Amino acid sequence: MIYDIRHVTTYEYENPVSFARCTLRLEPRSGDGQELISHRVEIRPRPAERTVRRDFFGALTESIVIEAAHRNLRIDSRSRVSVSRQPPARDAASPPWESVRDIAFEATSLGPASPVGYVFASPLVPVLRPVSTYAAESFPPGTGILKGAVDLMHRIRTQFRYDPKATVISTPLTEVFDKRHGVCQDFAHVMIAGLRGLGLPAAYVSGYLRTIPPPGQPRLQGADATHAWVSLWCGEKLGWVDFDPTNDLLVGNDHIVLAVGRDFSDVSPVDGIIVGSPKQKLGVAVDVVAVE
Amino acid sequence: MAEGAAEENDKAGRAQAPREGQRRFAQWVRDYRRLPGIPDEFLGPDGAPRAVWSRFFDAFGALAPDEIERRFGMADRHLREAGVTYRAPGDSADRPWSLSHLPLLIGEADWQQLCAGITQRAELLERVLRDIYGESRLVAEGALPAAAIAGSPEYLRPVCGVPPPGGRYLSIYAADVGRGPDGRWWVLGDRTQAPSGAGYALENRLVLSRAFSDLYKSMNVPRVAPFFEAFRDSLRARADRDEPRIGVLTPGSFSETYFEHATLARYLGFLLVEGDDLAVSDNRIHIRTVAGLKRLDVLLRRVDSNSLDPLELDASSHLGVPGLIDVLRKDGVVVANMPGSGVLEARALLGFLPALSRRLLGEELKMPHIATWWCGQRSAREEVLARLDEVAIEGAYRRGVPGLDRAGPVLASELDAGDRQRLVDAINTRGMDYVGQEVVRLSTMPVWEQGQITPRPFVLRVFAAATPDGWAIMPGGFCRIAEQADARAVSMGDGARAADVWIVSDKQVSTATLLPATDKVRIRRIAGVLPSRAADNLFWLGRYLERAEATLRLVRALGSPSGPNKGTAASQQAAERIQRLLVAWGAVSQTSRTAPGRIVAEALQSPDRFGSALSLVRAAQRTATSLRERLSPDAWQVITEMAERLAYEVEDDDSVVSAAELTLQELASLAGLAQENMNRAAGWRFLDIGRRTERAINTMRFTRQFAYDEAGDEDLDILLTLVDCQITYRSRYLLAPILAPVRDLAVLDGYNPRSVAFQVTTLNEHIAALPSLKEHGLIEKPQRLAVALQATLATAEAEKLEVKTLFALEQDLLSLADAIGQHYFPHGPNAARPEKLTGLA
Repeated sequence: MIYDIRHVTTYEYENPVSFARCTLRLEPRSGDGQELISHRVEIRPRPAERTVRRDFFGALTESIVIEAAHRNLRIDSRSRVSVSRQPPARDAASPPWESVRDIAFEATSLGPASPVGYVFASPLVPVLRPVSTYAAESFPPGTGILKGAVDLMHRIRTQFRYDPKATVISTPLTEVFDKRHGVCQDFAHVMIAGLRGLGLPAAYVSGYLRTIPPPGQPRLQGADATHAWVSLWCGEKLGWVDFDPTNDLLVGNDHIVLAVGRDFSDVSPVDGIIVGSPKQKLGVAVDVVAVE
Repeated sequence: MAEGAAEENDKAGRAQAPREGQRRFAQWVRDYRRLPGIPDEFLGPDGAPRAVWSRFFDAFGALAPDEIERRFGMADRHLREAGVTYRAPGDSADRPWSLSHLPLLIGEADWQQLCAGITQRAELLERVLRDIYGESRLVAEGALPAAAIAGSPEYLRPVCGVPPPGGRYLSIYAADVGRGPDGRWWVLGDRTQAPSGAGYALENRLVLSRAFSDLYKSMNVPRVAPFFEAFRDSLRARADRDEPRIGVLTPGSFSETYFEHATLARYLGFLLVEGDDLAVSDNRIHIRTVAGLKRLDVLLRRVDSNSLDPLELDASSHLGVPGLIDVLRKDGVVVANMPGSGVLEARALLGFLPALSRRLLGEELKMPHIATWWCGQRSAREEVLARLDEVAIEGAYRRGVPGLDRAGPVLASELDAGDRQRLVDAINTRGMDYVGQEVVRLSTMPVWEQGQITPRPFVLRVFAAATPDGWAIMPGGFCRIAEQADARAVSMGDGARAADVWIVSDKQVSTATLLPATDKVRIRRIAGVLPSRAADNLFWLGRYLERAEATLRLVRALGSPSGPNKGTAASQQAAERIQRLLVAWGAVSQTSRTAPGRIVAEALQSPDRFGSALSLVRAAQRTATSLRERLSPDAWQVITEMAERLAYEVEDDDSVVSAAELTLQELASLAGLAQENMNRAAGWRFLDIGRRTERAINTMRFTRQFAYDEAGDEDLDILLTLVDCQITYRSRYLLAPILAPVRDLAVLDGYNPRSVAFQVTTLNEHIAALPSLKEHGLIEKPQRLAVALQATLATAEAEKLEVKTLFALEQDLLSLADAIGQHYFPHGPNAARPEKLTGLA
């Protein structure tokens, strides 16, 4: 499947902004059943500096500096990506979760793909006893890791309410968990916190969903914005498997991975600081079209 | 106090018969109640005093008891007057520093062993850091579990693979040590992030060595100055240009150890900077100064790694510099210690260090550390769970036990059944977050309590600085004493009292100071750059002090027996004018106008009125707190005394007036200190600009109030008093006050140092001398306004002045004050700060 992705981020400021320094992570990843064909980012006003590097997690990271006074910032990212994934069946056999936990913990690498980097609390995902206890219900001793994770994902999908108005980026995990509502990012964080509470390696994935579903299928939740889901390391054989708790499904060819990290703070597509305007209005428009 | 005077004191104290001293010493030894089963620094296992302590107490005992108390009082007074403070977490105000009066003594041979252990450890940790953030071979080859690193919030992924600019991770390292039951020094914890305490150690040494200068000299205690000198030189050498600019990065005056940051900055000759003072430009860090952006080469940071850069680390931090990590990638600034160094403070790592030492250094560790079991490993976890009541449980990566809402280590035996079970469950599911540590009872040292000595446990922090010639160890350190006699090693994170640490040598020691050798020094007359924030604070310090003076003059005029308020209708009206001014300034409340007796007291010392003299002096004190490294100790002392005096409740008008008088004298002496003692660099100018601006505004306002068109004798008389021109007027005119000459003297007379014209002329001189930040070749706004004002005042005629002209001039002065703020302090409280972009895109 090949997708054309348009991801436009706009900021409107109440007062002129004299200086902006931003970090962009807008290039979809290559690898794991996904191939980047082309990618281009247009920025207005045009930056005085643009430098590009790969961050720790392997994402192409662009640092920009804008020195011209401006009231609008527009970041227009276009990508073409081909996707070909075969997720395991929901009821596929998998090793007991305890053994996966123990193997993950023994990893001898600090690299971005090493599961050991994803078993600890991270800036936006604390390890909390109530969340761990909640997750543990899906993982009785000896349960296959896939079975446990599918069950947890399903419970989050059915017990939490999708409500874009309920939370903002700074809403703490405890509140999301207590009130049982939020958006894709919150659900991903809750699932990650629960898995890590059991000592399992869980990563945060940001990305896109196709906007128009294939004929005969319902439109998925979160298709008009950037999306987020969970990647769980399921042992040497299965490797990293992606779970979308917002839609209760194992990630296949309708998802396009943008970046992977420990939580949202590692993968934020547009981040930065500005000088001059405390008031700002953010707009994000995402359009994902299947071209073949 | 001068060194010579201290020596005189010692001689006076020595007049006591030596035999008397020996008797006292023997008594102290008899009364010293050692803790059973715990080693002691003072008494050996045989119950006899150790040699170094005998030497000390021989001399100490020769001082008469009241002399000892006098010396201790002197030390305490010095600490108070120098304003040595710290702030405990959660405190809203600074606490005075509490110094134990007896130093910790360490014999030289013992110390050398300790130094060897610390040096080896510092070197080992540097190499481990290099590996963790570099090739990561230790992890790949199984010498170090990846999880022991990955679990630390101080493992900074953004700096992985970034070589530390300047070539090192650790520039300064500290170890907390204590003496274990076996008589050896044990490492209790490593400080690799931004160790605090060196500045306090310095202050402790200054105080104690002055109070007991004779004793100090006789013990041959090596000085700490050469250590700081070596540290400073090595930071300088690490920059990539000569004469580098170095800053101490502080979180700000609310930080618990802000005093220390200021002390270090002043002592080492570095700039004290906050994140807001810095900006990234051209892949380098710059400091915002009154002369524009200036490059900063080295940052000695006292801000934790995660707060250093909101773009790549903790996004909510306001303490750092957006883009700092990117500058590190481009080798544009040296940061000491390198961000990410704090990863080695994780207790999870302790158990692996002996093997790492063999592997990386080919040596056994010279110093043992407190036995630690990391529960991430199955065997260690089982051991800890089996011996749960014998060990202390602590977080593996940072202080605090995850899952239990408690700071510091916990003893399972002290938990209730529910918490205990929760802890066991947590260790079973996420063991990697916990360590068990052996509970060691540390040795005790003598502290002075009511004429006796008594044993207390302590922890010693030893500092090591990386120099081109290897590690330099501070001879001495930062010693914290536990308040309870039976504190266990692990629960002693924060002693309430500190002690100086004397390394006692048999040989004479050199008397190096921090004055550099003359052949290395380039002559300089201007003291570096002035950060905009410091200029802003100086400006406001000047304004607060001047405003306090004006308020005190009003209080004095209103309260003095010869003043108004006490007789005729005219004087009653004048009194009401003063009251109105005080109300307008926020010095008294509206309601107290009905109770005249309370007005002066309220204007003098009401803490609830922002315009009272007390509030203004406190505002000056707060501002001065942020300028600690730039103010002389004398100036700080005067400000503190004023604030204390004004807070002392007064009963009647007379005492109000005399408190006002005394405070006015202190303000005058403060002005004198600034005038005579402050370097004539930009800093002094901003202090004076603040004073002059405020004085011009106040004088104009007084003139408007008391030299109005129909003003009578009483009014004009008050004005002359308020602007301190009685004598000048009488010597010139030999007449009762007349409107035009009084207005001329107060506003226009350029020869009168209290007149508005004089202030404006001085302001013009200052502005002309300041660095110019010309935009497009045009005259800058402050100068434009000041020159125009000066011209108006120079050409005005007293007879033709109208009240509305006076009012217009007052408005012009206020505009000038604003223009100065906007021009020189563009990132002051009113200016734009960086804002985060809204997330979730």
